[in-house]
Amino acid sequence: MNIAGIKSHFTNWREWEFNPIVIKELRQAVRSWAVTGMLMLFLTVLFITSLVFLVGQSVRVNEDVQLGSSMFQAFVIILAGASMMFIPLYIGIRVAAERGESNHDLLYVSTLSPGRIIRGKLYCGAYMALLFFSACMPFMAFTNLLRGVDLPSVFFILLFLFLVVCAANQIAIFLACLPLSRPFKILLALAGLFFSFWLIGGLIVGAIGMMRLGLGSMMANRNFWMTALTVLVAGLIVTGLFYVLSVALISPPSANRARLPRLYITVIWLLGGLLNFAWVIQVKEPTAIMAWTLATFFILIFALLVVVSNADELGPRVRRDIPANRLKRRLVFPFFNGAASGLLWVSSLAAITFILTQLVLTFGDTWYPTHVGMSGANREDFTLCTSTTIFYALAYALTARFIHRQFFPKRPPQIAGLLTILLVGLVAIGPGIVLFFLNQLSWKSIDGLQLGNMFNIFSIHEPSQRWSHFYVAGGWLALMLVINAGWFLKQWRNFQPPPGSCSKD
Amino acid sequence: MKVQVKNLRKEFGKTVAVDDISFSFDAGHIFGFVGPNGAGKTTTMRIISTIEEATQGDVLLNGVSVCEEPELARRAVGYVPDTLPAHGDITVHEYLDFYARAYGLRGKKRTQAVEAIEEFTNVAGIREKHLKALSKGMKQRVSLGRALVYDPDVLVLDEPAAGLDPRARVELRELLMLLAERKKAILISSHILTELTEICNGVVIIERGKILETGTIDEVIKKSTPRRTVAIRLLEGNHHQNPQLLKELLQTPFVENARDVAKEIHFELTGDESAACDILGGLIAKKYKIIEFRQTKANLEDIFMNVTKGGVQ
Repeated sequence: MNIAGIKSHFTNWREWEFNPIVIKELRQAVRSWAVTGMLMLFLTVLFITSLVFLVGQSVRVNEDVQLGSSMFQAFVIILAGASMMFIPLYIGIRVAAERGESNHDLLYVSTLSPGRIIRGKLYCGAYMALLFFSACMPFMAFTNLLRGVDLPSVFFILLFLFLVVCAANQIAIFLACLPLSRPFKILLALAGLFFSFWLIGGLIVGAIGMMRLGLGSMMANRNFWMTALTVLVAGLIVTGLFYVLSVALISPPSANRARLPRLYITVIWLLGGLLNFAWVIQVKEPTAIMAWTLATFFILIFALLVVVSNADELGPRVRRDIPANRLKRRLVFPFFNGAASGLLWVSSLAAITFILTQLVLTFGDTWYPTHVGMSGANREDFTLCTSTTIFYALAYALTARFIHRQFFPKRPPQIAGLLTILLVGLVAIGPGIVLFFLNQLSWKSIDGLQLGNMFNIFSIHEPSQRWSHFYVAGGWLALMLVINAGWFLKQWRNFQPPPGSCSKD
Repeated sequence: MKVQVKNLRKEFGKTVAVDDISFSFDAGHIFGFVGPNGAGKTTTMRIISTIEEATQGDVLLNGVSVCEEPELARRAVGYVPDTLPAHGDITVHEYLDFYARAYGLRGKKRTQAVEAIEEFTNVAGIREKHLKALSKGMKQRVSLGRALVYDPDVLVLDEPAAGLDPRARVELRELLMLLAERKKAILISSHILTELTEICNGVVIIERGKILETGTIDEVIKKSTPRRTVAIRLLEGNHHQNPQLLKELLQTPFVENARDVAKEIHFELTGDESAACDILGGLIAKKYKIIEFRQTKANLEDIFMNVTKGGVQ
């Protein structure tokens, strides 16, 4: 939307309407037996819980001065359980049903953009969460009339919980959008349920902990808000990442699906790097930049699995978006579909991250006092571990791509992603299985040097052996770079707009 | 509105689903799209409706390319799939309203459009019914209503009559003819060829991704059956004259392959209409009591059976 479009959008505010998906979903939700039944059950449980507490209080000899707090904690447990388990599951199932291959009307036969569809589903989840929170609100407000709980704590905890439910909804939408068969989706839903059990436990412990610490009194402290803001921003970034991934997943296969996620991760990486760098200067301590490196490498290793599964050929619609200008074409190459462009994107981000971190670690001694800096040994360990891990990850991916190209060229490119996982598993578990059959499996053998195993870097006892891993990973990567160079150059050269098209510059 | 399919090709891996097909049709026309299962009809229709992307070629909707500007082109096309996807807990009215919203209709305009479509497709009486509770015929009506709610110029219907009872088929046929009168360009695929013959102005016969015949129904019939078949029926009670008539015809010029077909005599006329007139005059002069002398038209089904081999890919 250009500036005139944005202006017209705001001047015509009277014509604003809700996202059609939200209206449709909410209409379906209020009619659904699942939602109505769950809401009724939820209210019944809240009512019975209140009754148990109040009746229990009336038969007690001594007055419970923390009755409000105890009741509130019980309500938080019920609310967290109901909203974290039910709403993401409901939203996820609905998206999965509409994502089916045969059900092409909602996602394709309309002018709704993929982003609007995902936002609609997300808003619907938020409205449903609001419905459950509103149903719980009178009970929670009632606890304020008793002792042991203050209103700021109530509102803060509820807001926190609400945001976590919204993030869980987005993750559920993402899982539902994955192009998997129904059995896999059911398995994924079960895994998600187990994960939500763990999350609910953590949330409840966190919420009760915050109440016991006295949230009301902490709110006057600047550090409290700084921490809350940091958690909020981190949560928003993660939710945003799942949002862009979901949008990419439901975009038509002919679209440039890679652009949005890669751009998002690049922007977040850049902003995170700047923020962490500023933090290093502020606190005169290098931990923040190391955290940025670890987070970046963690995301890039997962991204590798996706990019290596991309097809080489670009569809006509994508090719039409390739700039005719040579320089621009080179610059945008990493943001277009394709395994080669994806590998270049991952490698570039990893290399820049590594170099910048090394610069901060090496020259940082001039900014912060020596006593808070890292020892030489620690710095070497960090450098070796991070560089070797990313070398191994790239080597696995390139090997898988090579195997796919050589032996399964007619199979879909997703095979390369699967091969990467198999390769990681093989080198990680393979030696253990062999040793088990040779009856020589022991903790010592697991802690011992297993060259080629990415995870072994973190478990070996002898730090000097990390160098061996570094050389092996580096050598393997170099070999794969040479083997794949021809393929990469071909993709690089083929990255051209279709002949005779008016491509965008 | 003119729909031009130009050298369309679609590959799924090594399979060529649609192989360089071209045809066109205009506003107010109903174009039949005929072919055996797996011929590439649905793929072509999905490309026209911007659901699928062509490997090569293009489809122009009044000059707007579905490949170059699919978002713009999508506004001009209403696609009716063979089955209405199952949506739980939603009524007919809400479903149509949702699509009107999804296509950007606002306020009163939307309300009016939805109501008009409900009237037109005759679903106003069931607007509060849940989609899941509808019969196949009603679902097809809703599906058609959904495709029409934003008033597209082109309608693409994939097997809309499949599974419908005779009454629903007749009603659907009437609806389509009404839509053609409203200057919609309609492409319809169906295996019920006799019905297509009745409503279509033109036809495309496709097999293994390639076009076998295309043109107006008359053109295709003429091309496929260059000789006309004429049927003669004698007055009831005079059928005993049939063998004699048959013998007579076999000696008449411009007559070939005369045969007795269920109390009628059929023959292939190799001459023009004046030759037919002479034959009729001659037979009447010879006191044959002829009650019917007509040219039998080959229908789409005959042509389909003649030109296709039933091959799939």
